[in-house]
Formats: sequence, C-alpha cells, structure tokens
Amino acid sequence: MIFFLLIFPSLLAALIATLVRPYRAIVGWIGAWLSLVSLGAAFAIAAQVIHGQTPIWGIVLKYVNLDQVLRADSLSALLMLCVTGVATLALFLSPGLGRQVTNPHWGELAYSPRQLRRYHIFTNLFIAAMLVAVSANNVGVMWIAIEATTVFSAFIIPLKLNKASIEASWKYILICSVGISLAFVGTVLGYFDFFTLSGRAENALNWPVLLATARVLHPEVMRLAFVFLLIGYGTKAGIAPMHTWKPDAYGESPAPLTALMSSALFAVAMYALLRWKAVADATLGRGYTDNLFLALGLLSLVIAAFSIVLATDYKRMFAYSSIEHTGLMCLGFALGPLGTFAALLHLVNHTAAKSLMFFLVDNIEHKYRSPLIERTRGLLKTMPWTGGLFAFGVMTLIALPPGGIFITEFTLFRAGFALNHPWLMGTALLLLAVVFVSFIIHLNKMLYGTPAADDINMERPTERFSWRIALLLVNVAVLVTLGLTLPAPLATLLKQSVAILAKP
Amino acid sequence: MNDPLFSQLSTLGSSIVLLFGIILLWRKSLHAYIDAFRWQSVVLSVMLLITGTFSNDHELYAVALFLFILKAVVIPHYLERMEKRFGDHRELQPYVNVASSLILSGMLVLLAYVITRPLVLISDLPTRSGIPLAMGLIFVGLFVLVTRKKAISQIVGFLVMENGIALLALLGTYGTPIIVELGVFLDVLLGFLVMQVFVYHIQTTFESIEVDQMNELKH
Repeated sequence: MIFFLLIFPSLLAALIATLVRPYRAIVGWIGAWLSLVSLGAAFAIAAQVIHGQTPIWGIVLKYVNLDQVLRADSLSALLMLCVTGVATLALFLSPGLGRQVTNPHWGELAYSPRQLRRYHIFTNLFIAAMLVAVSANNVGVMWIAIEATTVFSAFIIPLKLNKASIEASWKYILICSVGISLAFVGTVLGYFDFFTLSGRAENALNWPVLLATARVLHPEVMRLAFVFLLIGYGTKAGIAPMHTWKPDAYGESPAPLTALMSSALFAVAMYALLRWKAVADATLGRGYTDNLFLALGLLSLVIAAFSIVLATDYKRMFAYSSIEHTGLMCLGFALGPLGTFAALLHLVNHTAAKSLMFFLVDNIEHKYRSPLIERTRGLLKTMPWTGGLFAFGVMTLIALPPGGIFITEFTLFRAGFALNHPWLMGTALLLLAVVFVSFIIHLNKMLYGTPAADDINMERPTERFSWRIALLLVNVAVLVTLGLTLPAPLATLLKQSVAILAKP
Repeated sequence: MNDPLFSQLSTLGSSIVLLFGIILLWRKSLHAYIDAFRWQSVVLSVMLLITGTFSNDHELYAVALFLFILKAVVIPHYLERMEKRFGDHRELQPYVNVASSLILSGMLVLLAYVITRPLVLISDLPTRSGIPLAMGLIFVGLFVLVTRKKAISQIVGFLVMENGIALLALLGTYGTPIIVELGVFLDVLLGFLVMQVFVYHIQTTFESIEVDQMNELKH
C-alpha cells in the first residue's frame, strides 16, 4: 500500500499529462502537488525502516509470480528520500508552471505546448522508473527500471531540437543502453551461478536470496559478473572511463531534468552497483571489488579535475564536478564501514547540492544568452538571490564549511588514512585542491564584473525574492544542517545501510 | 531426455546465430543488415522452442512467441520502413574495413572462449558448449555498434547484442525468470522506438544519418 502511494502519483501525473492536450499549466501543478504524496510516502517508509520493519509488497497472479516484488530496507528508504525530494523540487520548478519561459540559449523561443506536454509526461515516467528501481526486490526488475529511465530521459533531453541536443541525446541513449545491456549480462551471469547450484527458482534474483546464497557461489563467475555490472551501472553512474556522455547530456538537457539526472538518477545507478557489490563481497571477500572501486574512483577524480580546469561552459563544469564526486564516493565505498558511511552521507549531500546548482543554472539560463563562463558575468549584480545561492552551492561542492560535504569528505579521508592508503588519499587530496582552485577562479568570473549588454535578457527586471527561491532554501537548509549536525533518524538510517553494505 | 541430440542442436543453433551476427561485418547494404537480424531472431526463437521442449519448461514457449513477434516481425518492419525512407544507404566506409573486421571478430570470439571458460566448466547443462558463442555474439554486436557510421547500422548492432544476451541467458540458465524476461522485451521495444525517433531527428537536423558528423560538443 505504501509503495502504491510512493510510485502511483508520478504515474497518475504522467497519465494526466498524456490525456490533457494541449498542455495547460494546471497539469504541471497537479504533477507537482502529487509528487508531495510520493515524498510523504518516502518519509513514511523511512520511518518504518528506522523502527526495524521491512515493508514488502507483492501479488501472485495466475501466470506471473510477483510475490515480494517490492521491498524497502534502509538503503532503499535513503534513496527514496533522495529521489522524491529532488523530484518534488524539480516538478515545482519545471517549465510550464506559469513562469515566462524564454530560454535565450535557443533564441527567444518559449517552449511550445507540445514540448511542455512531452516534458511533463516523460519527466513523471522517469521519476516513477527511478522509484521502482530503488524499491525493486528483484535485481532483474531493478535492471528493467533503470533501463527504462534511460529511455524516458532520452525523450526529453532534446526538448529543443538542434544539432547539439540531438548529438548529446544520441550519445546518451547509445552509450547508456549499451552500458545497461552489459549490466544485464552481469545479472544473467549472477543468476547463472545460482541456477547451476540450486536449479530454477523464481525468487533467485531477489536480492536477499542472492545475498544469502552468495557465500557458496563460484568466485570465478562472480568476478566476471561483477566486471560486467561495474561497467554497466558504472556507465549510468558516470564513473570514468564510462563518463563520456555525461557532460554532453547535462549540458544540453533542460535544467530541471539535469538536476534530476545529476542527483537522483546518479544515486539510483550507484545504488544498483552497491547492491551487487554487497553480493560480490559476500562471495569474494572485500578486496576484489574494493580495488576496482579505488582504481576507477581515482581515475574519475583525475579526469574530472583536469576537465574542470579547462571548463568554459558552466553546465559542463558541473557535469565534471559530478564525475569528481562520483569518484570520491567510489573511493568511500571501498574504504570499509567508515568510508561507506561517509560515502552514503556524501551521496545525500551531493543530491542536495547538485540539484540546487542545476535549479540555479535554470535561473541563470533564463537571464543570460550564453552558457559560457566568459559571458556570464556579474551574477551578484543582475541576480542577487541566485548569485548568492550559487556562490553558496559552489563553495559547498568544493567542501567549504558549513556545507555538509566538508564533513563527509573529511570523514572519507580519515577512513582512507586509517586503512593505510596514504598515497592514494594524498593524490586524491591533491586533485581536490586542483578542483578547489579552478572552481574558485570560475566562480570569481561569474559572480563579479559587468555583463555585456547583449549577453543578458534585459526584459527581465532585477531578481526579487519569490517562492521559487524559497524552495531552493530547502536545499540550503539541508546542506547546512548536515554540515553542523547529523539528525538522529538519518544517522540510524545510514548506520543500518552501512550494516547492509559493509560487513566489517 | 535425449541429451546428446539436444546438446548438438543447441550448439548448432548458437553457431548459426553467431554467423548471422558476423554477416553484418562483410555485408554493406542496410537491407542485408535487417535480413541478418531478422533471421537471427527467427533461429533464436526456434532455439527457445527446442530448449523448452527438451527441458519441459513451458514458459519458454511464451518467451519464444514474444521474441518472434518483437524481433522477427515488429522491429524488422520498422527498420525496413526507415530504410525505405532514407533510400538505399550503404555502410560505405566503416571505421574498420571488412578484412580487419573479420580478423578482429575472430579474435573477439576467441576472447569470449577465454573469459567464459569458468562458466563452461561449472555448468552441467547440455547447452553449455554454446555459452562462448553467445558471449562472442555480444562482443560482435558491440563491435558493429562502435565501428559503423550510420545510425541505423548502430541500432542493428545494438539489437544483435541484445540477441546475444538473450542467447546467453537461454544457454546458461534456460532463460531468466519470466517477469524479467518480459520486462526486458518491453525495454528493448521502448529503447528501439526512441532510437528510431532519433534517427528521424538526426536525418532532419543533420540531413544525413552518418553519425560521424556529430562533432559539435567538445568541452
């Protein structure tokens, strides 16, 4: 029942958006308010999980056995909170809710009703698919839902058709579909091992069953399976060297979608990887997966750091920042229970920070003509609220206090040094320093100076405080709270998740 | 059960399926691509039926039916419509020429034999000797996908790779649980449809379906 409340609202919103044509603003509003139901359900599930329950849902039909198809443990609950939280914000801040929608990057065109209709249908389906992915008990169903996210998001990346957006979405759908197919090879190989041991079983792909059998699975098959899974879900999460679609897709999609992709979708892909990492660890011991995570994590950091130095487009810059944080989380998940704890908290912080950034980017896009950093000057003067929050967001992302990322990176490095990885952690710190400096330089360019007259949209007056800005203060509040303290329910949720993922 | 016969049939079937994949490497017209994919899917459905008969698993009949409808009828139909729309496009200059492609694909199949060795050793199914061929087909599909320039050829490469995965699941485990199997079909269909939409977009925006013109996005 609770799962129904979690997933159904976005499906209903998609249905309404499909039926009402042409698009009207009320559709967007209905979707936004419905997403609050999902958010409430996510909180309810989290509360149940904290009290030690594990909500399970399933039905048995005549031909198709759907017993225990949905299940929520604390890790799922954590992810549900992240996904529904960002989804609610994204739907309230979506185009088509009454705001004047001009996007100077594409000339002074507003989104047409057809585009808005498509946007609202597929965004809601996209959200529903992510929610199914994190509540699926069966890793096969989880895979199906994640593949579905690729398809649904590919429909809305090129909301405005032009060469750049078509190229970005073609790369996105091809690279991610192939990646996800490889993840399915991994899933099949995992199932193969189970099948060989104990014969055909409908529930073999249920994660708890898989985990319980993992100890007796064949290590050599699991090694192969995990490589496929890592490449597959790693592509979706944007771990280097499978990250190449990320800057293009983030650079070209509508900003609320980018916010969803960079925070929620990324977290979902990481979640899938973590589920399998737990299984592989049970079969192989921690060393194998940890080393892979450390190597790819470091590579992501290297690539991200140098790309951020060279960045000229602010949306792509934040995409590379996503790759950087992906790398950091990979390091964390490979560093024992303390590292896993830090990485999970980092995931929550990153979700709040990165979605904040892309919603602000949305505001900036409507004011400035160009996505180039060089031509986006004087933010503080033209958009005092957005500029201020933007500065806060960037500083959080480069781990300055009081943002929560400071705490999580600190914990992460402590875990690394405690596990005797001084060289690795030293290199990572050095790379973070590179990121830090270049972000400060880019930020400096964007905040101050005077914009050229033809670079900004003069029709829009100086920004004033509005409910749209007020909504973003929620993210700021989350980040500051997590920087200063760790609320007890969240701590319980994280500790339970660590216990699931990292058996010391 | 007549195990030797079943084993031989499944190895034969897997080899034919792999050969249809390799045809993509030396044929150039899109029409040949589509035909290869269609016949590959037909053979794959027949293999599902055979496996279903020998293993007494009637779910596989349903899977075979879905696979036939989707991959031997619906998707080839749409592919042909695209082919007609864009005229007789040939894959004139793939990134890798025919001779090197064939040699490389041979090496990919060898690689598949190496990495699937543990699987073949562990499995006790009569179908196990086909597992390396399935893995080889996955690699060949991937190879086609990265070396062709036409958007449609890339799609066919992707579909061939999907067939390889279906074959792997069939040979290794007699198919995944039915709920997963059906979900995968749905995803393949949706994925194909969205790719198809994009081919039309690419055609109208770039006035060609050669993807190597896509070089707008750099830093």
